[in-house]
Parts: sequence; structure tokens; C-alpha cells
Amino acid sequence: MDLAAKLKKLSLTLEQKNNYLYKVVVKSEQLESLLLSFINEFDYITLDSINCRDDLEDGVFTITYCLQNRNRDHIVMIQTSIERENATLPTMHILWPQAEIMEREMHEMFGVNFPGHPSLIDFALEYWNDIPPMRRDFDTLEYVNKMNPFRGQRDDALDAKEEMKKRREAKKAAKLKAEQEAAAKEAQKVKTNTSEEVQR
Amino acid sequence: MESGFYGSSIKCKLEESGIPNTHAIMERVVRWFESRSIFVIAYGTGCGAIEMPPTFTSRYDAERMGVVGVATPRQADLMILSGYLAYKTLRRVIRTYEQMQKPKYIISLGSCPINGGMYWDSYNTIKKLDDYIPIDVAVTGCMPRPEAIIEGFVLLQERIKNGEKAGWEKYDKNLKFYKENQRRVLGDHTDPSYETDWYNLGGGDI
Repeated sequence: MDLAAKLKKLSLTLEQKNNYLYKVVVKSEQLESLLLSFINEFDYITLDSINCRDDLEDGVFTITYCLQNRNRDHIVMIQTSIERENATLPTMHILWPQAEIMEREMHEMFGVNFPGHPSLIDFALEYWNDIPPMRRDFDTLEYVNKMNPFRGQRDDALDAKEEMKKRREAKKAAKLKAEQEAAAKEAQKVKTNTSEEVQR
Repeated sequence: MESGFYGSSIKCKLEESGIPNTHAIMERVVRWFESRSIFVIAYGTGCGAIEMPPTFTSRYDAERMGVVGVATPRQADLMILSGYLAYKTLRRVIRTYEQMQKPKYIISLGSCPINGGMYWDSYNTIKKLDDYIPIDVAVTGCMPRPEAIIEGFVLLQERIKNGEKAGWEKYDKNLKFYKENQRRVLGDHTDPSYETDWYNLGGGDI
């Protein structure tokens, strides 16, 4: 494969995940030139997605670019990791126009910066003033409880435990009563049967 | 309802002809007419929007009860909010609601506007819609069937007919409460208000 030879020259390895998925791990300094050669030399014209993963323990964001060429028979994932603090990536919207909106979303959800990006404005969230919500150090539950507390109990709300206990006891009593009635009925039946036999 | 809100000229004619208690009669007549012609703006905020087309078209045919869809909020009596509301949606919904002419009503569909539903722990979704705008009828279910939506219409029609206090009156009276809640989640970036903004004017309750 021509691509593998090129990557070998750059001392990178093309790792095959399955029969249509390949993976390359690069350093963040190499990323821009590698992506440029992928589209210019090897004709990877489609950028499927740009994904971001927050590796809080390592203090990095792991970014994955998924590319396809004209044959559409395999996907190459180009993976790199950048520092969490002041995370910056080169913008790819000139090579692939669809990258503009993906980068805009990543900027909003993870706080990654893209110098030279034409529209790093609010996307799905408006006037967000906390840390970006997809970062793992963002405490979603605490934020939700602060902004949107649960609806309180109704004034005439009953205690569930006591109500369940009452209901259980009532059920038990009803069952006992039914059993007693059935037993009494049976006893009467036997009585009538015996009396009939006596009559005969 | 306020006195003299409707049909004052007909009321005057009735009074001239000497019929007693004309105001109450007029109110009842007008309320009956009002309950029978509800124009709906269906604001599809969530998944419940998919229940709207069968409700309004030939399968369930809400038009037989006088419920018809319209295109703009300024021509609508009733807004149907179908599903969860993100903060971004809430901002638009408040603006839409304030553009509607009085009398105006809101029906909410599903459990999300009531208690958050499956989005109870979302960082971007409100949990209690009635803190921000007044809901007249909340139809529960996830999602409610068109039959349930029609039952909501019927309940609203009954309320209009009986002259019960509607949501827009509550919104007028408690504007401070609603505006405070809206500011709490939306910040100071709310759109210009179509209601008299007593909160900013420092007027407090009306």
C-alpha cells in the first residue's frame, strides 16, 4: 500500500482494526501536515467526523479524525492527543468545509480553540457561562440541581411506606377472609352431602 | 373575565331592550363561542410534534371541535408545546407566547414539561415549565396519544366555557415571579418583552 509506505517514511504505523478500519496515531505537531498529505496525495476527500474524548487522568484530549477516500471502502482514523489546558488545534475548514461545524461544536462542548476559525460562536448552547459541559470535570448533576431543582411534593401527598403497609395488610386480611369463607362453604357442602346420604 | 371585555355594542342593545343581567348572559354566549373556535400554533419542541399531524388531520380530526392550526402566534389562541424544552427553545417559546393576543392558552404534552421526563439530568433542559410560562392543561404521557390530546382540548374548552381563571391572567398578575424565573436560567440575555416588564420598571406585582 502506497499509504503505508508514506507513513513508514514518517515513522508512523498504519494499524488495521478490522477489514475496513485503519488507525494512525500521530503527534499533535505532525497532525496538520499529515492531514494535508492525506487529502492532497492520497485523495481522502471526505471527513466523516472529528471526535473528542476527555482523558482526564492523563490530562489530554484525544482527538480522532475519520477520513474516507473516493472508493469508500475503508475509513482511516487519525488520532492525536493535545493538552487539556489551553487546548488548541489547527482548523481544517479550508480542506473540508464540513469541519467548520464540527469544530464549532467541539469548541462549545470541550472548550478546544481553533485559531483562524471563521465562526466560533454559540452553537447549541446560548450564553453558556460555566466550564464546557462535555468536559469530565463538569459536574452535571450539581449544575442541574442548582439550575433546575426537582418539583416538590404535593401538599396532600401520602407517605408511600405507610400506604403500602396498609394496602398489604388489607390484602392479607381479604385473602384470609376468602380462605375462611371457602373453608366454611366446603364444610357446608360436605354436611349436605352426608345428610343426603343419610336420607337415602 | 373583566367586565366589558367582549361585545360591548351588543350588550348595550340588550340593556336598552330591558333584559336583566345582560352582562352575564353576554359573557356566557361569548365564552361558548370562544371555546368552539380555538386556533392553535403547534410549537414542536420535542418528539411530541409527531402526534400533531394525525390529531389535526383526517384520522382524529380535531377540527370537528373547532380546533384549527394557524401559522403565526399573532393569530393563535392556543400554543401546544410538545415535549422537552432546552434553554434555547425556552427563550423562543417565551417570545412566541408574549406575541400571542389575549385570551391565550397553553397545552403542554408529555412528562418532560412537567418534571423533566427522561431529560431530568440534562444540563440544558428545563424541568418545570410552569415556572417560566403558565400552563393551562398538561397532557401526560410519553408521548400522549392523539386521543389524550383531544381530551386536553375538551378539558380546555370546558374551562373556557365555565370562565375559569386562565393562564394568561396568572401571567399578568405574577409577571414578577415568571420574569425572575426566566432570568434565573436564561441570564440577562432575554429577548425584549412584549408584556409590560414590571420587573425592570421596579413596579412589582400589579
